[in-house]
Amino acid sequence: MALISLDALTKRYGSITALDGLTLDIEPGIVGLVGSNGAGKSTLLKILLGLLEPTSGRATVFDLDVRTHGTEVRQFVGYMPEHDALPPDSSATDLVAHLAEMSGLPAVAARERTAEVLRHVGLYEERYRAIGGYSAGMRQRVKLAQALVHDPRLLLLDEPTNGLDPAGRDEMLDLVRRTGAEFGMTVVVASHLLGEIERVCDFLVAIEGGKLLRAAPLGSFTERTGVLAVEVEDRAEELAAALVERGLEARAASSHAVLVALNDDRPYDIVRDLLAELGMPLIRLEQRRHSLEDLFRDDPTETAA
Amino acid sequence: MTSSRAASSATGSIYDLGYRGYEGPRLGRRHAIRALFAHSLKVCYGIGRGGRAKVAPIVLGGFATIPAIVGIGVLALARQLGAPSGVIEDASPIQHATYFGIIATLVMLFCAAQVPEVLGRDQRHSLLSLYFSRALRREDYAIARLAGVVAAILLFVLLPQSIIFVGFVLSAPDVAAEFGKELALVPPILTQGALISVLLGSVSAAIASFTPRRLYATTAIIVILAVVPVVGGVLVRLDAPTLARFVALASPMDILEATNAILFNTTAGSEVISEADLPDFAYFAAAALISAASIAILVRRFRKIAA
Repeated sequence: MALISLDALTKRYGSITALDGLTLDIEPGIVGLVGSNGAGKSTLLKILLGLLEPTSGRATVFDLDVRTHGTEVRQFVGYMPEHDALPPDSSATDLVAHLAEMSGLPAVAARERTAEVLRHVGLYEERYRAIGGYSAGMRQRVKLAQALVHDPRLLLLDEPTNGLDPAGRDEMLDLVRRTGAEFGMTVVVASHLLGEIERVCDFLVAIEGGKLLRAAPLGSFTERTGVLAVEVEDRAEELAAALVERGLEARAASSHAVLVALNDDRPYDIVRDLLAELGMPLIRLEQRRHSLEDLFRDDPTETAA
Repeated sequence: MTSSRAASSATGSIYDLGYRGYEGPRLGRRHAIRALFAHSLKVCYGIGRGGRAKVAPIVLGGFATIPAIVGIGVLALARQLGAPSGVIEDASPIQHATYFGIIATLVMLFCAAQVPEVLGRDQRHSLLSLYFSRALRREDYAIARLAGVVAAILLFVLLPQSIIFVGFVLSAPDVAAEFGKELALVPPILTQGALISVLLGSVSAAIASFTPRRLYATTAIIVILAVVPVVGGVLVRLDAPTLARFVALASPMDILEATNAILFNTTAGSEVISEADLPDFAYFAAAALISAASIAILVRRFRKIAA
């Protein structure tokens, strides 16, 4: 049984299509939802929560339709929104305990769970202080705590590292990974930063322009190491043709750049030899970091320019 | 010495006891609604918030209650000194029937100051997505918030009335007889209290739900509640009874003045009401209609609002 099931899910805002016939099953685990800004990640999460009505199609969570069984579904779902959503004049304890009750927990249990969850996210000492005085990192932790407080079976995190410095990002990602691994909770992490998602997830779903690009276990994404960009002064087409002749996937991106698919170390030697042979001055040789696009295209050189 | 040890233990060790799941009861939607109702009521009185949030409710509540306490004190003193029965009671402005007139402005200010706090705060801090992603529906949110506001206004109105009730009974030479007399006034007191809280609560809540900005909401509520009757007064001076009728039935404060007079069997002081010369039921119908429309607008607003 899939935990989340989408069937031709479509959402339009006027003339803009945010989700375009998305059909997908998500199994329990830690799932990364990647896509650039505006790809439809937040829209998808909001539809799963019943915060938005889909234009057409169907979404089920725990085998319940989110449109007709919203409150039942949401009792077991935690949501960490992307934007800042905290009142400056409450303390973390008051806010989280109140929201726990909104999830259906009795008042006493809500208090107990709040203390436990705030300790889990590392906010125990500051929990009685007003949120207005918190740092960005602490605010993100409060947002995570309120999503966890009712012990959900499904946790939806929208850009959990938003606005954090590198150290804060590391801590937040570690927290997300531990939360998913230790509690046996299904976590869906939406992010535009593949590098971050890679570190916490075991399954990746990539969407672009509201369409599914690819959904697969993380392992199958990392097989390909990326793209080698060769920058030369001119005659890039000539170099590309020569590289293809030697059996590499290569393409001239412009008159002075060639992109080579990098599946092993072989292209480095071939490029070096060819450049010497052709007498071309090399300006730069660079292995491109995974960008979302080249990971999800079958031909990595196609869009990496 | 001790303080440095405390500091090092405060920052130095985080005990990882592991995470435990929650196996206890999940009470679901009904509990969430009840808890949100209680929360709204508390927000109205600044309970569980900083000192600044308590200033307006305490000051307004104080002004609304002090006349009742003073009036009862004077009455008790007069009765103690053997004033003839009925004389002081009739002369005193502190009576069940007149008290709404005394605190009408305070009730209005209470609505203008506190209702935007309940309805606008969650919008101001983008908290709605945290509420709507939980075990309640958007409609539930709107109704629970409104119910908290209505209960808060009801308390505001009934507290001085209870003081008057208790004061009248306890200071009477014949407590049992006075209790019977007072008891007869309980239905109009409760009816008028319900009318005030539902009508003013729903109108203020509907207005406040449209802006996260407190100042705008407060201003709009005051304009609707206080300025409309003034306009009505001007229109009456211009000798336009049809318009007076319209204003009397469209202005919540005029409606409540009229229902108060009807329920306690007195005459309303407002020129608009005497000029309008409408049948009794018209005011109750207008109160019901305006409340229902306001609640519909409020629910619709939260159904549509982006979260």
